[in-house]
Amino acid sequence: MELLDFYADWCGPCQMLKPTLEEFEEKHPEIKITRVNIDEEEEMTEKYNVSGIPCLVALKNGEEVAREVGVLPLKKIEKLVGVK
Amino acid sequence: MKKYDVIIVGAGIAGMTAAIYAVRGGKEVLVLESRVEGGQIINTTSIENWPGELGISGVGLTRKIKEQAEELGAEFDYAEVKKIEKNANGWTMIGEDDEKFEASVVILAMGTEPRKLSKKQAADAGERAISYCATCDGALYKNRPVVVVGSGNTAKHETAYLKNIASKVYHIHHDDPIPKDAVAVFVAIGRVPSTNFCDGLVELDENGYIIAGEDCRTSEEGIFVSGDCRTKNLRQLVTAAADGAIAGTEAIKYLG
Ligand SMILES: Cc1cc2nc3c(=O)[nH]c(=O)nc-3n(C[C@H](O)[C@H](O)[C@H](O)COP(=O)(O)OP(=O)(O)OC[C@H]3O[C@@H](n4cnc5c(N)ncnc54)[C@H](O)[C@@H]3O)c2cc1C
Repeated sequence: MELLDFYADWCGPCQMLKPTLEEFEEKHPEIKITRVNIDEEEEMTEKYNVSGIPCLVALKNGEEVAREVGVLPLKKIEKLVGVK
Repeated sequence: MKKYDVIIVGAGIAGMTAAIYAVRGGKEVLVLESRVEGGQIINTTSIENWPGELGISGVGLTRKIKEQAEELGAEFDYAEVKKIEKNANGWTMIGEDDEKFEASVVILAMGTEPRKLSKKQAADAGERAISYCATCDGALYKNRPVVVVGSGNTAKHETAYLKNIASKVYHIHHDDPIPKDAVAVFVAIGRVPSTNFCDGLVELDENGYIIAGEDCRTSEEGIFVSGDCRTKNLRQLVTAAADGAIAGTEAIKYLG
């Protein structure tokens, strides 16, 4: 599993999500988190058709299996990725 | 299951302030939040009217208040409350995954959320992206056509903001057809209280706001309300905090 985190520096909800993602990373080191700055990586942002930020996309073998737009608590990120 | 003296539903400015007051009164306090603390204000980069902190961001203010509440001993947990039931000695909050939380007293502080598009316009929008915040999501539509729905000041501001980003910005009212070429729909048609699950629990006004006076007491004993989801004239940060102070204090008095 892999998690894409689409964010921007000026986005308040993205800032609120950041510490939760760090907590997730510490708890689940097996899951790679790729952070995508939408202002710098327009190609990726377009490829995944991101419609709002923050946006978390869960990938399994490179294929999208789930996504959520908006800030989430730890429990819901775990649910999105399918880990406890 | 741990039983709390006070459970607060919603960790906006109202809920977190209520937590500060209740915990300082020596009560065991849990704040339940469905997403993240801070509520509506986290999108705002500069607040000009919070006394003592000219220009603080919503995120900055939220972090300070949460830290203060935690430092004083309030607990936070994350669940969307779907239902509140009366039990023999208080109330049971039931979360989205059927998780249960118990308390003697409840403070409702769910605030408001953006009003959704009408069924007709939602059908018209189809698969197109829908956003409730131009300053958050506008950057995703560089050089593409978008539409803003709404007649108020927010809609005007969002339209002006998007004009610097999008190739074209349509501005329509809440019943107009959505232009075919717009790739995203920015909705600014006001806010509604997040009180869906309160029907039958406490008295609501015709718009869904929880009816209570300045004492923040609802129609139900042992349930208080604070912040933007209460019937009131001015919905702002300081009035949300003021309600939190009152509801927290009333809860302490009620518990004795
Ligand atoms: C864009 C914008 C700019 C603003 N700027 C200013 C300003 O500059 N100055 C000012 O004074 N005011 C401003 N306001 C108004 C101010 O933000 C609000 O009055 C205030 O934040 C209300 O706080 P609250 O705690 O009552 O509710 P909210 O901030 O709405 O918080 C409610 C919380 O409850 C949670 N919740 C909802 N339902 C549930 C549930 N069922 N279970 C668990 N949790 C739930 C929500 O996720 C949310 O976190 C602004 C508002 C907006 C939208």
